[in-house]
This record gives sequence, structure tokens and C-alpha cells, in this order.
Amino acid sequence: MFKNEEMEINLGPQHPSTHGVLRVKLRLDGETITHCRPMIGYLHRGVEKICENQTFFQGQVWTDRMDYCSAVANNLGWAEANEKLFGITVPRRAQYIRTMLNEFNRLASHLIWLATHALDIGAMTVFLYAFREREDILDMNEAFCGSRLTTTAFRIGGLREDLPPGFEKMVQKFLAKFPSCLEEYENLLNENRIWKKRTIGVAKLGAEDAIAMGVTGPVLRAAGVPYDIRKAFPYAAYAEMDFEVPTRTEADTYARYLVRMDEMRQSARIIQQCMDGMPEGPVMAKLPKILKAEVNEVYHATEAPKGEIGYYLVGEKGSSNPYRFHVRAPGFINLQSLPKMAEGGLIADIVAAIGTLDIVLGEIDR
Amino acid sequence: MSEPVVPETPQVPEPEAPSGPYVYDYAASPQRQIVMPKTVPLPSLRTYQAEVKAAAEADEAKWVKMQADFETAKAKAEAEGKDAPKPPVRPVPRKDDNDMKTPWPQEAKDADLLRLQECLGAKVEEIFEQAGELTCQVAKESILEALQLCRQDAQLNYEMLADETATHYPAATGFAFSVVYHLTSISRRKRLRLRILVPEGFQPETACAVYPGANWMEREIYDMLGIRFANHPDMTRILCPEDWEGYPLRKDYPTVGLGQRDIAFREDRGGMLERIALQKAGQLGINLKQPKAD
Repeated sequence: MFKNEEMEINLGPQHPSTHGVLRVKLRLDGETITHCRPMIGYLHRGVEKICENQTFFQGQVWTDRMDYCSAVANNLGWAEANEKLFGITVPRRAQYIRTMLNEFNRLASHLIWLATHALDIGAMTVFLYAFREREDILDMNEAFCGSRLTTTAFRIGGLREDLPPGFEKMVQKFLAKFPSCLEEYENLLNENRIWKKRTIGVAKLGAEDAIAMGVTGPVLRAAGVPYDIRKAFPYAAYAEMDFEVPTRTEADTYARYLVRMDEMRQSARIIQQCMDGMPEGPVMAKLPKILKAEVNEVYHATEAPKGEIGYYLVGEKGSSNPYRFHVRAPGFINLQSLPKMAEGGLIADIVAAIGTLDIVLGEIDR
Repeated sequence: MSEPVVPETPQVPEPEAPSGPYVYDYAASPQRQIVMPKTVPLPSLRTYQAEVKAAAEADEAKWVKMQADFETAKAKAEAEGKDAPKPPVRPVPRKDDNDMKTPWPQEAKDADLLRLQECLGAKVEEIFEQAGELTCQVAKESILEALQLCRQDAQLNYEMLADETATHYPAATGFAFSVVYHLTSISRRKRLRLRILVPEGFQPETACAVYPGANWMEREIYDMLGIRFANHPDMTRILCPEDWEGYPLRKDYPTVGLGQRDIAFREDRGGMLERIALQKAGQLGINLKQPKAD
């Protein structure tokens, strides 16, 4: 009566746990996954082609729309890549404000990850708590640059505007309550029996595999590799900041959760240091109105909440458009390791594996 | 009662009613027209040095000519008994008052680049530094050897392939693409760029054997630029559908037109939307029916 052949099913492209439009082709032996093949491209808009046909300044709005959960981090990488291409020195105050906003963005991105990841696995409550704090961060985005999600926060050479009046008060209010909020989340999850059963030992990815696959970000750090671009290749004002790179050695979903929670604490520390040591001065470098490139190529990588986001730009002499605009999206590279995580595991755990990678398909497909 | 005098309104010609449903002609769209790049913006120390040398020579020649012109003018003025002309002033390059300092290619001084040149010998075509980044261009046939060296050599030890991508250079002779590999050494906190120049149709060796993470990056390069990699485990399209024609990131691929559906106002029976579209376009000075050819 019972058939013993393998079954092939599709997870997605329209599945709530895939955070976008991801299709995963699975071959199942009972409940065990024997083969897994992620299929992407449903959100492909050709961002690289579009940016090659626009000026250097215009590329920024497209970086917002790649990983829309961490628009500021994408903006920062984009701005710094352009500054490297032109050799622009950014004023110190602008660097500090950029660092602070970037860390706020990391908090927002990790909060939305925590909320949706917990929701995928079955913990409903933390979703509401995490979105409550994310709302405050979006309000700060709005106060700074007028938009909440697709921020277009920076300009090549610095910032468009200085911090608005009253911003410091907002930040201090947020920092005063945020540690207790983190405790709230941890009270809900850390010793939660169901959460631990669904995450401990699930979707393992060891350090060697992770490095070979090019995986970066919290997934790599949860495997015990203390590689954080903020420390390894300091950019913006990170060289002047005092913070730690949290790592774990278990390399499973629970370890990644703990790494991200610790990272949020470190982000709050960095924000405090930025506020305390905020230098005075201009926020925009002196630049000509039209930027014309010389023949040059740069690859600039920054630590986005999801991992290493790299921009590869090629300049053409006398042209105000980039000759080549390429984005090394962290999600794209991280998603590649999904088969390694999921194969041999249960089908229910692939939802945890997708969630723990913290992917945003807008960035993967570009 | 006499009727009030109504000033005569000038006759505005009615916008021409289009004959069929309005279809935007993508083939004639200005964005459809491809402007091919004329230069080859391939950063290189040798080209830069040649350019600098040529510019200096041209500058010198101009100065010599200015002086000669002055001498003849002076002689002529003396002969005619007029005032002597002003002696020429050598033009000084203008200094821009801004915070930009263009990074130019520089001689390779970094130990990693020298080590690569020492190990690979003649297979290294060029090494230089620019904007604080190390670039090593190797022969296209020996890229796998170079990658293996970077991965396994104890002095180099580049553990991770951060990124791999390619650029299309249609104006170049001898090659059509450059493929760049961005390597990261986590333990030594260094980055390195390897570069190969590939002609159309050449299949470079895949990096998957050394860095398994290259799998999707090379699929993306194939999908976007049409470079096939030899011995790749799964050389299929990744972002575009499997039956997609053309390679979107090539410079001869238009931004508008291919794969784009024509917009026809099918529901617009009375032609109202069409008229509004044409009117609005007319106010903006756009001729939708006959897009500019330039």
C-alpha cells in the first residue's frame, strides 16, 4: 500500500515563510529533505542595468529598493563606494551621523528579522513587541530624512541635512528603554521550550562550509568566525567606536538568534558613543555640481545587517554614469548555502533555515 | 434685448483622434536606441602612464610652439617698429578647491602582489594599486592556478571569494569582457582583486573547484553577460527565465524594448485615455507618435 518513492514539492514562490518570492524545489523522502534547490529571479528588476544608465547620484534610490529592510545600510555602502571612486573625503560629523543611522538601521533590520522569524516558527507574541520598537526607529528615519523605509539617507560626500532639532532627545529616549525591550524579547524566547526545540541543532552550517560558500554576517559569526567588516576593514566612524563582535560556536539557528540579540546590544552601545562624541562641523564635503569619473574600479564592502554588501563600480573617463554597477548582495550569497543547511533535515525545519538566513528577495534578485 | 458680446475665442485645433488603439512604439523609443561606449575604461597602470606621458609631451609641444610664435611676433614687431608683444606665460594646471583627490593607479608595492608575481611569473600580466585596492591581472588560461595559489599559499591565504563579476567592453580589441574576482583574507584582513580579460566565446575555468561559493556568481555572470565557465557544475540561467534571449548587462542590450509588453489601452473603447495621454504629452512637448530619433 505504501509507496516508497521520493516526492518532489515546491515551497513557494508564494509562501509566507519565504519573505518575498522564493521558490524552493524539494525532494522528500518521507519528511526528510534529500534534495533542495532554491530558484530565484522572480523579483528581478535589472537594478544594475538601470544604474548604469543613470548618473552616479541617481543610483541611490535603487539601493533603497534592494534590501528594503536595511535601506540605510545599503545607502551607506553605495555612498562610500562612490566616495572611494572619486577620492572624496567626508567630514567627520557626517561620518558620525552615518554610523549612528546605520546602527539604528541594523536594529530595525534585526527586529524585523526577529519578529518574522519567530512568527514563522510559531511564536506570535514577540512579533508585536519587536514591531513596537521598530516603529520608533522608523519615526527617527522620518525625522531625519522624511521617509521611513526607502530612506535615500545620504549623498555622495556627506549628508543633505544636519540632524533635525530634537533628534538627540528621541535617541536618548529610545536608548533608555531599548535594553529593557531586549530583555522582554529574551524572556519570551530564550528559555521557551518550543523555541529551543525548533532552533537548537537546526540548519547547521559549520565555519569551514560557511567560508567556502562565502557566507557572511551573523550566520558566519554564529559559526565561530569573528569576521565583521566594521572591525576588519573599518569604514565610516567605526574605527573610533568601542564595540565587540559577538560570536558563538554552535552554528545552529539558536546560535544565530543569540548572535543577533548580542549584536543589537552592541549597536545600542555604538549609537550611544556616536551621540556622546558627535563632532561639530559641516556635514557635506565641497564637491563640484557634476561628478565626472576617471578610469577607475572600486569594490567597497560594508557590513549590512545581513552580511557583506559590496559595490563594484567602474568609472569611465569624463562620464557621469558608472560604466559598471554591480552589487554583491549578502542575501544572494547566503542563500546559496540553503541546500547545505536543509538537506538531511526535516521539511518543517526548512522554514527555520530560510528565516535564519534573514533573506530579502528584493536584494537577492535585484 | 441684445445679446452680450462674447469675445471670439481662438480656435484650438482638436487633437487628432488616433485611428487604432494607442501603442507605444518601443522600437522607435529614444531609450531603445543604443549608444555604444567608445572608450575602454579598463583601469591599468600601463595605460595611465602612457596617457600621462602623452599629455606631458603635448603640453611641452604646445609651450614650445607658444614660445616660437612669440619670437616671430617679436621679430615682426621690431621690424615694423611697434611695441613688443607680451611674452607668453606657461599655463598652470587649474587647482580645484574641493575635497576630491582622484585616486590614480600606482606601482605595486604590496607584498601580496609581489608574491603573486614571484610565484606566477610571466602569467601575471599586470599588477598595480589604485584607491587602496590591489589588482592583479593574470592570463586568462591560468586563472584557476592563480586562485589555487591565493587559497592555498600560506603567505597569501585568501579564504573567501567575496564577489565575482564581469564587465562588457565592446570597444576593446583583443578581448570583450573583464572578469574580476574579489578575494578576502579573513585571517590577514586583506582584499585582493584578480582580473582576467576574456574574448567573446572563450570559456574561463570555473572557480567552483577552489571556492564553492562561486557557483551562483558564475551563473549570474552567464545569465547577465553570457560568459560560459568551463567545468561549472550547473551552467544555467539564474535570474532570468531559462528561455530568455540575450544577455541584459551587455552594452548592446537596450534598456527598453526587449521583453517589455506593449501598452495598449484595451479597455478604452471611447479613446478617452488615449486623448488624455496625447494631450498631456503634447503639453510636455513630447510627441508620443513620433519619438525623437536621437
